[in-house]
Amino acid sequence: MRRPDGQAKVRGEFSYAGDLHAEGMLHGVTLRSPHPHARLLRIDTAAARALPGVHAVLTAADVPGDLHFGLTLRDEPVLADGVVRYAGEPVAVVAAIDPRTARRAARAIVVEYEPLPAQTDPTLAADAEPLHAEGNVYRHLAYECGDPRARGVVTVENTYRIGMQDPAFLAPEAGMATPTADGGVRLEVATQWLHSDQRQIAWATGLPPEKVQVVLAGVGGAFGGREDVTLHTHACLLALATGRPVKMEYTREESFLAHRQRHPGTIWLRHSADASGRVVSVEGRVVLDGGAYASTSPVVIANTVTLLQGPYRVDNGRFEGWSVRTNNPSCGAMRGFGVPQAAFAHESQMDALAAALDLDPLEIRLRNALRRGDTATFGQRFTQPTPVREVIEGLRAVPLPPAGGKLPGGVGRASSPGSVRRGVGYAVTMKNLAFSEGHVDESTATVSLRDGHATVHCACAEVGQGFVTVAEQVARTVLGADTVTVTQPDTLIASAGSTSASRQTMASGTAVHRACVAVRDRLLARVARERGLDAGLLSIQDGAVTCDGTPLVDVAAATPGHTVRATEHFAHPPTTALGQGDVYVGFAFSAQRAVVDVDVELGLVSVVQIASCQDVGTVVNPTQLLGQIEGGIVQGMGLAVMEEVVVVDGHITNPEFQDYLIPTIVDAPEVVSVYVTDPQPGMPHGWKGVGEPPLCTAVPAVAAAVRDATGLPLPSVPIRPEHIALGIGTPPTVTRTTPRPPATTGGTALSEEPADRPGTWESEGAAGH
Amino acid sequence: MKPFDYARPGDVAEAVRVATLPGAVFLGGGTNLVDHLKLGVARPDLVVDVRTLTSREVTDTEDGGLRAGAAVTNSELAADRRVRERYPVLAQALLAGATGQLRNTATTGGNPLQRTRCVYFQDVTTPCNKREPGTGCSAIGGTTRNHAVLGASQACIATHPSDMAVALAALDACVQVLGPTGERTVPFTELHRLPGDDPSRDTVLEQGELITAMGLPPLPAARTSAYRKVRDRASYAFALVSVAAVLDVRDGVVQDVRIALGGVAHKPWRATRAEQALRGGPATPDAFAAAAAEELADARPQPGIDGGNGFKVPLVTRTLVATLRDLTAAQEG
Ligand SMILES: Cc1cc2nc3c(=O)[nH]c(=O)nc-3n(C[C@H](O)[C@H](O)[C@H](O)COP(=O)(O)OP(=O)(O)OC[C@H]3O[C@@H](n4cnc5c(N)ncnc54)[C@H](O)[C@@H]3O)c2cc1C
Repeated sequence: MRRPDGQAKVRGEFSYAGDLHAEGMLHGVTLRSPHPHARLLRIDTAAARALPGVHAVLTAADVPGDLHFGLTLRDEPVLADGVVRYAGEPVAVVAAIDPRTARRAARAIVVEYEPLPAQTDPTLAADAEPLHAEGNVYRHLAYECGDPRARGVVTVENTYRIGMQDPAFLAPEAGMATPTADGGVRLEVATQWLHSDQRQIAWATGLPPEKVQVVLAGVGGAFGGREDVTLHTHACLLALATGRPVKMEYTREESFLAHRQRHPGTIWLRHSADASGRVVSVEGRVVLDGGAYASTSPVVIANTVTLLQGPYRVDNGRFEGWSVRTNNPSCGAMRGFGVPQAAFAHESQMDALAAALDLDPLEIRLRNALRRGDTATFGQRFTQPTPVREVIEGLRAVPLPPAGGKLPGGVGRASSPGSVRRGVGYAVTMKNLAFSEGHVDESTATVSLRDGHATVHCACAEVGQGFVTVAEQVARTVLGADTVTVTQPDTLIASAGSTSASRQTMASGTAVHRACVAVRDRLLARVARERGLDAGLLSIQDGAVTCDGTPLVDVAAATPGHTVRATEHFAHPPTTALGQGDVYVGFAFSAQRAVVDVDVELGLVSVVQIASCQDVGTVVNPTQLLGQIEGGIVQGMGLAVMEEVVVVDGHITNPEFQDYLIPTIVDAPEVVSVYVTDPQPGMPHGWKGVGEPPLCTAVPAVAAAVRDATGLPLPSVPIRPEHIALGIGTPPTVTRTTPRPPATTGGTALSEEPADRPGTWESEGAAGH
Repeated sequence: MKPFDYARPGDVAEAVRVATLPGAVFLGGGTNLVDHLKLGVARPDLVVDVRTLTSREVTDTEDGGLRAGAAVTNSELAADRRVRERYPVLAQALLAGATGQLRNTATTGGNPLQRTRCVYFQDVTTPCNKREPGTGCSAIGGTTRNHAVLGASQACIATHPSDMAVALAALDACVQVLGPTGERTVPFTELHRLPGDDPSRDTVLEQGELITAMGLPPLPAARTSAYRKVRDRASYAFALVSVAAVLDVRDGVVQDVRIALGGVAHKPWRATRAEQALRGGPATPDAFAAAAAEELADARPQPGIDGGNGFKVPLVTRTLVATLRDLTAAQEG
């Protein structure tokens, strides 16, 4: 089946949010703080207001409702309130007849700042003077299971660093707000989560949520970066203030400043194993830099910390983490949501253990692979399919690529064949699916069928992942519909939650499936009634209503002129707070093997091939599945070898695609993708989420392959040419330990008080930091 | 973008005449200038379009060299058979730069005059002596991975970004210039300046001086020449460091050698000290490394391991050694 939006996108005919237009619309522009931390002494907008063509200039004082918003803590001002906490924070917004006038007006606003010292080190910030009334620690969590002091014969520890990654979606933020006749506002915007936007806009505008209508405009990529509100509220405030439609569209640079990044992190891990390679205990500490405002930092840190065990059975451990407020750019959701950081660290450790014990990297992973029935360090039992061994075996069956191929260094052929070494690296990861820790994960869909044409209405944001295709496939399969329309998502229907967490096929796909099943049952009941048949004997096959296998009538002609409609809701079984049971809805497992060619002299890397074996539940659409695998792998590879938002003293120095490098097609490896299909219980056809695991796995797999080629420790990503050429980075500390069996077994216990401040890492061997 | 006037004169003489006024700039392929107009980095009063005025031909010269008109595109120059055979270093440098689409538009005159990719130069909200003399240098103490280790000053540590220019420097090319006072020829190695205390000027060209052509001298040794570029991704990225080299080796002895380095200085850096050290000596990796050390003796990297650029010194050394080693192997088997 063809993707309904595919051709239009490839041909350049798809209408993105940046293409929005209305007669008489005004253009909105944002004035941003040039300082990472400063007191706002004075804002004078008189000159800006006086410019011809300017219709509104708004500052914090003009926000009619609640000034603060946020996905978790409501700690972020819609417009700066007395203090700015990051470089790029919105201070004022302007609406004018054209973008140029609006920009000129923004420049005419006089702002007096008193610069304050910027706190840019998350380890220091945790203890430092609060940057906000809500404090500097977004969340600290710590827990133990079994006996963390248990030891095997060998213990390895190291500190790993992960850089800040930008979602780098291709279409910068854009939207248009229009005042409505009832005094409300309608916002068309490229977003991931309509209802979350609606709620936060309602807070700021002081409108009841039903007077704030959010409609999805064409989205050019999201990757988590559109989960938070950016220009949404500003556009609505300006539209309400001027009574005119107001369009806002960020430049690339603004896009980097405004949306949330992936958290940069420092992770210390200590693994101890017995002589056979079985992990005896794991201890880990994480510090994530959350930046100026909370966004989802309190949730992301829990993902990183709890998934430090990887897809391995760990009975004894101690885990602790902080996400911290600084004056750096705010971080939040990005594809993988805290797990790529954990995966890079735990997989680096598994390789270090394998090396210390002279074991094959896949063998040590097989020996520790989680099985169904095991209990996670955080207390949840793996009751669903847990095919860790299967993804590893599936990966192992993929043949290695032949030697040779393109040299590192790209078109310029910078490498001499003599200095190129091939490396092979493996990684296996576990990614939680859907929302967690008690957040309701639900969706609702309405499906109607008339004369063989099905219409699907759901608030699920299509951000490129292909929900529109899945919805259409379901409607065709269940209803035998000839044609299907998936209508533009809006807030007139109940929330579908965010298009994130690999969750929309599971949540909204299932809601659509349920609604289709309800429509089908009503249709069949009606046909049965009209024809005096037993509805139990009727079904839909190949576009026809059949009775006991014999076609009766085409679906299109079954109930002429009559519309059958149903609205259905789906929610996953509830999750619980950490330490109280099932923290997560489910998990997906993924194994990858990266093959790289590295010019060890010049530090250049060519990723030749990545083979992937992923636990996907069931294959819903092979092309889209491959798209997710390939896209995730390339994005993960980007984080491994080139992508990093470089922040110096609170300023992003590369907020553009000249210096923030993402992989091009020349860099992208060949991808070989195979699957383990073990149907997910409770899901139609046993489907499950697939979008995030490939990214999580690619980061450590590529790093491992580069280590294999170079023999270097490379404890930080992205790995840059100079790291390889000069061998920068500390190797893991390997200690031969006296075995110490666990004194206690089982159980997960939360500890409230931090064992130490984030800066003080303990060490058993020589170097720990 | 600041509004400006646009002129399309009838010939080069008129172009030079109208461009004599301060505030006038020439437009070649526009792939750099137009970006700068949009960013507010360039704020000219008059843009003089010379794309169709200068020659778009590559011709043989009487002495056995080549002459490339300023309007020849980077793609055309790289594809020219004579260039590929006689000056492979130039073809390779061109192809290592930018992308196919850009090279189809970028010109022989414009490429060497493209301006630095220093992030602070391109960010009009930060001080920059090159963009606004006297405001200071934001790069010093900032992120300096792409900055100079040779010939920088307290006023500016920017690097010149062109790949093509590094090859032209190694080839002893010459620049044909038409100015208000007539024609002159500038040796390519003297076209670009070091920053000193006036980094606002990249080159020695005066207001209104137009590049009409690039001359390549006859240089048989250049048949064994190569360009090597180290960068963060396989395409569409500027050089961290690069090396253009011409090498003539016989019986293990260096007869002739020309070396220029990219990504290390405010101008394509002709490595005369290294050349001197090598000429007449053995063509061995040790000798190549020693020559690199000679050249880099005055290198002054910016501090810091991750943020700084000290890595460029060993990286240039290795790139140079690898380039000369492979050129030696190509001649001596
Ligand atoms: C995304 C991107 C990636 C790139 N990557 C690379 C790379 O990897 N390596 C590399 O070397 N380059 C790279 N470039 C730069 C590219 O090579 C230059 O932009 C191009 O060569 C400039 O040529 P042009 O004719 O377009 O110059 P223009 O933009 O027209 O002009 C550049 C300058 O030269 C002046 N000028 C133009 N013609 C003349 C003339 N005849 N006489 C006097 N002055 C003149 C102009 O006034 C202007 O100051 C990249 C560019 C982009 C946009």
